[in-house]
Amino acid sequence: MDLDGTVFLDALPRLAVAAGSNLKIAMIAILFALIGGTALTLLRTVRWKPLSRVIGIVIGFIRGTPILIQIFLFYYGLPVLHIDLAPITAGICAIAFNSTIFITEIMRAGLAGMDPGPIEAAIALGLRKRVIWTHVVLPQLYIRVLPPLVNEMTVIVKATTLLSVITVVEVLRTAQQIGNTAFRPLEPILAAAAVLFIVNFTISRGGRLIENRFANRRG
Amino acid sequence: MAFDITVITGNWALFAQGAAVTLLVAATSVVVAFALAVPLALMALSRRQLLRWSAAVYLECFRNLPFIVILYIFFYGLPMLQLQLPEIATGIIALSCFASAYLSEIVRGAILSVPAGQMEAARAIGMSYIRGMWEIVAPQTLKFLIPPCTNTSISMLKETSVLSAITVGEITYQGLIVQGRTFAPFEVFLTTACLYWLMTSAFAALMGRAERSNNTTRSAPQTRRSLADQFLKIEA
Repeated sequence: MDLDGTVFLDALPRLAVAAGSNLKIAMIAILFALIGGTALTLLRTVRWKPLSRVIGIVIGFIRGTPILIQIFLFYYGLPVLHIDLAPITAGICAIAFNSTIFITEIMRAGLAGMDPGPIEAAIALGLRKRVIWTHVVLPQLYIRVLPPLVNEMTVIVKATTLLSVITVVEVLRTAQQIGNTAFRPLEPILAAAAVLFIVNFTISRGGRLIENRFANRRG
Repeated sequence: MAFDITVITGNWALFAQGAAVTLLVAATSVVVAFALAVPLALMALSRRQLLRWSAAVYLECFRNLPFIVILYIFFYGLPMLQLQLPEIATGIIALSCFASAYLSEIVRGAILSVPAGQMEAARAIGMSYIRGMWEIVAPQTLKFLIPPCTNTSISMLKETSVLSAITVGEITYQGLIVQGRTFAPFEVFLTTACLYWLMTSAFAALMGRAERSNNTTRSAPQTRRSLADQFLKIEA
C-alpha cells in the first residue's frame, strides 16, 4: 500500500493554520512560565526552611510525573475544587506550570555558574538588594540561560500537541479530524509532522543565531 | 471535596498491572534505544559525509517532533508496511527510535570528552578502530554517560504515558479506564501521578548511588563562601 499524496497536500494549508494555535498556546505558556520561573527563583533564594521544603516537593513532583498526567489533573481534576476551566485554558495552565518548574531549574543552574565578581562589587557599592537583582543578576542571567530557554520553547511547542487528548483543536487534532473524514489517517499525521518540524526547526535554528549574537556579551 | 480512597483500593489491581506494563515498556525501550544510539553516535562522528548526513537527518527529524506525533506515525505507518504488530510493540519501537536521537547526542558527547590521544595511542599500538573504541574509549565514557542517561531514562519513563493514546495498557491508560468507571478523576490522576513519581524517584536514587560509587574523583566542595552566594546559591 502506498501513500496518497493529494491527501497529504490538501491537509497542509489547514494544518498550517492549526499549527498557529499551537504557537499561540506555546507563546502564552512560555510568557507565564518565564514570569513564574523568575518569581519562583527569587522565592527560592529566600532562606526559610519550610518554604524551600514545600517548593522542593512541588519541583520533585512536577519533574517526576509526565506532563500528560499534569494536563489531565488540570483538566479533569480541578473541577473537583470547583474550578472549571475550558480545555484550552486548562492546557495552557498545565503547560505553563510545568514549564515554570523547568525554567526555575534552568535558572538555578545558570545562577550557580555565574561570576560572583560583579555582584560582590554591587554589594560593596552598597546597592540595594532589589537593584542588584534587577540591574546586575537578572540581565546577566537571562543572557546565560538563553540557549536552554530556546530549548524549553521547543519542548513547550511539542507539549502543545498533547492537548489534542483533552479536545483542544490544534494541529494534531485537526490532522486526526482530516484523517477521519478522508479515511486515511497516516497522511494528515505526516503533514502535521512536516508543519511541526518546520516550526521547531525554525525555533531551534533561530535560537542558535540569537545565541551567537549574544555570545560576546555572555556574563 | 473529600478524597475517596475506595477509588484506589477498589481498583488497585488495574493500577498494579499498569505499573508493571509501564516498567516493562520503559526498560525495554531504554535498552533498545541505547542499542540504536551507539551506532548513530559513531555515524555522527564518522569521517564519511554520507554517514554523518544520514545521522543528522535522523536526529533532526526525531528531535524536532513531539513523541505523540511520532507514535501515531508508527501506529498508522507500520501496518502500511505490512507490519501488523501489537500496540505495545509499536509503542516500544516508537519510543526507542525517539529516545535514541537524544541518547546518541549524549553518547557522542561522551566519546568526544575522552581525549583524542587515547584513540590515537590505541591505533598506534596496532588496535583496530572498533577494538580501540570498545577497549579504550568506551570504558572511559562511562562516567560521562551515567548522569545524562539517567535523565533521559526518566524522561522515557514519563513519555510512556503517551502510549495510552494507542491503547497500550500502562498506568495512564488504566487510570483513564478507572476514571471512566468511577468518575473520580482527581483521585485517579493523583494516584497515577504518584505512581510515576515513585518510579522516577526510585530510579533516580538508584542511579545516584551508582554514580557516587563509580565516581571517586569528586571535586572538593567549595569552602570559600562568597558574598554573592545570597544571590547565586539555591539549594536543590
